Amino acid sequence: MNKLGFFEFLKYRSADIFKLTGQHIRITGIAVLLAVIVGVPLGIYITKNKKVSNAVLNTANVFQTLPSLALFGLIIPIMGIGFKPAIFVLFLYALLPIIKNTYIGINSIEPSIIEAGKGMGMTKAQILTMVEIPLALPIIMGGIRISTVINIGTATIAALIGAGGLGDFIFKGISMSNNNMILAGAVPTALLAISVDFILGILENKLTPLGVKSN
Amino acid sequence: MIELKNVTKSFDGKNKVVNNLNLKIEKGEFVVLIGESGCGKTTTMKMINLLEKPTKGEILINGESVKSKDVKDLRRNIGYVIQKVGLFPHMTIGENIELVPTLNKWSKEDKKERAIELLELMDLPGEDFYDRYPSELSGGQQQRIGIARALAVNPDIILMDEPFSALDPITREKLQDEMMKLQDELGKTIVFVTHDMDEALKLADKIAVIKDGKVIQFDTPEEILKNPKDEFVEYFLGKDRMWKTPEMLLARDIMKKKFGKIGINGSPARAIEIMKDREINTLIVVDKEGVSRQKPVGVVTRNMIMKNTLHSVKMKDIMESSNDFMVHENTNMVEVLNIMSKINFRSIPIVNDENFLVGAVTPVSLLNVITEISPTIEGGEL
Repeated sequence: MNKLGFFEFLKYRSADIFKLTGQHIRITGIAVLLAVIVGVPLGIYITKNKKVSNAVLNTANVFQTLPSLALFGLIIPIMGIGFKPAIFVLFLYALLPIIKNTYIGINSIEPSIIEAGKGMGMTKAQILTMVEIPLALPIIMGGIRISTVINIGTATIAALIGAGGLGDFIFKGISMSNNNMILAGAVPTALLAISVDFILGILENKLTPLGVKSN
Repeated sequence: MIELKNVTKSFDGKNKVVNNLNLKIEKGEFVVLIGESGCGKTTTMKMINLLEKPTKGEILINGESVKSKDVKDLRRNIGYVIQKVGLFPHMTIGENIELVPTLNKWSKEDKKERAIELLELMDLPGEDFYDRYPSELSGGQQQRIGIARALAVNPDIILMDEPFSALDPITREKLQDEMMKLQDELGKTIVFVTHDMDEALKLADKIAVIKDGKVIQFDTPEEILKNPKDEFVEYFLGKDRMWKTPEMLLARDIMKKKFGKIGINGSPARAIEIMKDREINTLIVVDKEGVSRQKPVGVVTRNMIMKNTLHSVKMKDIMESSNDFMVHENTNMVEVLNIMSKINFRSIPIVNDENFLVGAVTPVSLLNVITEISPTIEGGEL
C-alpha cells in the first residue's frame, strides 16, 4: 500500500477520511460550543467583578500553558479514555481565548458610552444587552475563532486517548512509517482549520456593527 | 425646581468632595456650576440624577426627594449630556436619539417623528442624518446629537457636564450660541458644569462658584463680575475680566449722574455759564427745568452756541436733537461706544424705561471706567 501515490491513497481511503473528519469536527465543535457557553458568561461576569477577574484569567492561563499531550495523559486516570475526556481537555484549551476576549471586548468600551447609558436611565441588563455585548461581539467572535482554529490542531492529539478524529491517521501513519497516511490526516486537518478560520472570519465581519466598521 | 440641602459627598469616608452644599435652582433657570478641577462641581451635578449618591443631605426636585423615586425613571426624565458625548457607535443617529423613547416603549412612528424634529431643532438635516452613524460625524455634530438625545422625551431638567470643552474654539462658540437660542425657545432648567469662566458668563442666568465642595457665591453673571464675594472668586474671574468683557458693563454702570444740563428754553449766556462752571463743552438739553423727572431732548456744544450768541435765541433753536442717540440704561458699553463714535457729540443722555433722563455718558465717565477696570500693567500705569 505504501507504493500508492498520495492522491491514490486519498481516493482509496476516502470513506475513512470523511468519517474521521466528521469525528474531528464533532469533537472540536462540541468542545468549542461548551467553551462558548461557559467562557462568554464567565468573561462578562469578571468584567463586573474585578476582584475575581485575575483569579479566573490566571487559572485559564495555566490550562493554556500545560502541554496538551501531558493534559491528555493526565486526564486518563480521572475520566478514562474516549470521547468525553477528549472533549473535556479541548474545552479547557478553548476556554482562555474566549474568556480573555470577552473580558477585553467589554472592558475596552469607552467608559463615557456606559456613563451615557447609565445617565439616560438604562438598567444594567439593558446596558449589557443593548450596548456592551453588541460592541464587544467582534472581539468575542475573534476569541471564538482563535479557539476553534487552535482546537482543530490540538484535537489530532485526542486520537491518543481513543477519541478518533484525523489524529487517528497521523498516529497510525507514524507507527507504520506511512507518510501518505500521515499526510491524509494532516492535510485535511490543515484544510479544515483554514476553512473554518475563513468562515468564522466572515461571521466576525458580519457581526461587527456597521457604525463601528466604518471607523 | 431643584434644591440641594446640606448635601455632603465623600468617596472614602474622610475627604468630603462636596461639603454641606446648599443650592436652590429655580424652574427655567440656566445655572452654571464653575470651579477648579476637583472642586466637586461634577459630583454635585451627578448627585441630582443619582449617578452619585449623596453621603448626607437631601436633594429635592419639585419638592420631592430624589431618593424616593425609581432611579431609572428619575434618570429618564432628566436629560444628560457629557463632555465625551458618549453616543453609541453601533447605533445610527436615529437610534441614538431614540434611546430613551425606546426604553419607554414608544411606537416606531412616534420615535422617528421626534428624532427628525430634534435633528432639525439642532440645525441638522433630519432625513439625511437619521440613518448615519456617529463615526461619520464631526465632534460638533456629535455633541449636537448628544443634546438632541438628551431632549428626546422633553425632560424639564437637563444636566450638562462640560459639554463643549472638548470642541475646538470656533465650534464651541457656535454650540454655545445655539444653546442660548435653544434655551430661549425651550426654557429648560439646566445645570451646566464648566471650568471656563467665559462660557459661564455667556450662558448662565446664575453662576455658582464652587470651591472645596462648597458654593462660594451664587449670583447672576453681572453681580459676580461687579461684586465678587471674595478673593477666590476674583481670582477665578481673572483680574482683567471686565476689560475682556465690556459687554457686561451697562450704560447705567458707566454713566455720570451729575452732569451739565440746561432747559429747552435756556439762553446761550446761561449755557456758557454752566459750561464754564463745570469746565465742559457739551450740555444735555432737557424738556423742563427745576423738576426731578426730565426728558432729554437734545445736546448743545460750545461751538454751536458761539455761532448763535443772540439773546433771543433759545436752546431749542440751536440744539441738535438727541432722538437718534438716546441710550437706554441697560445698553452695554460696546454699543454705547459704537453710538458715540457715530455722532459728533462727546456726551450722550441715558434714559430709563419711561424715557426719563437718568444720567449721561461723557468722556470723563468713560475714562473713570477704563481706569477702574483696566488690567494692571507691570512696570507702568495705564
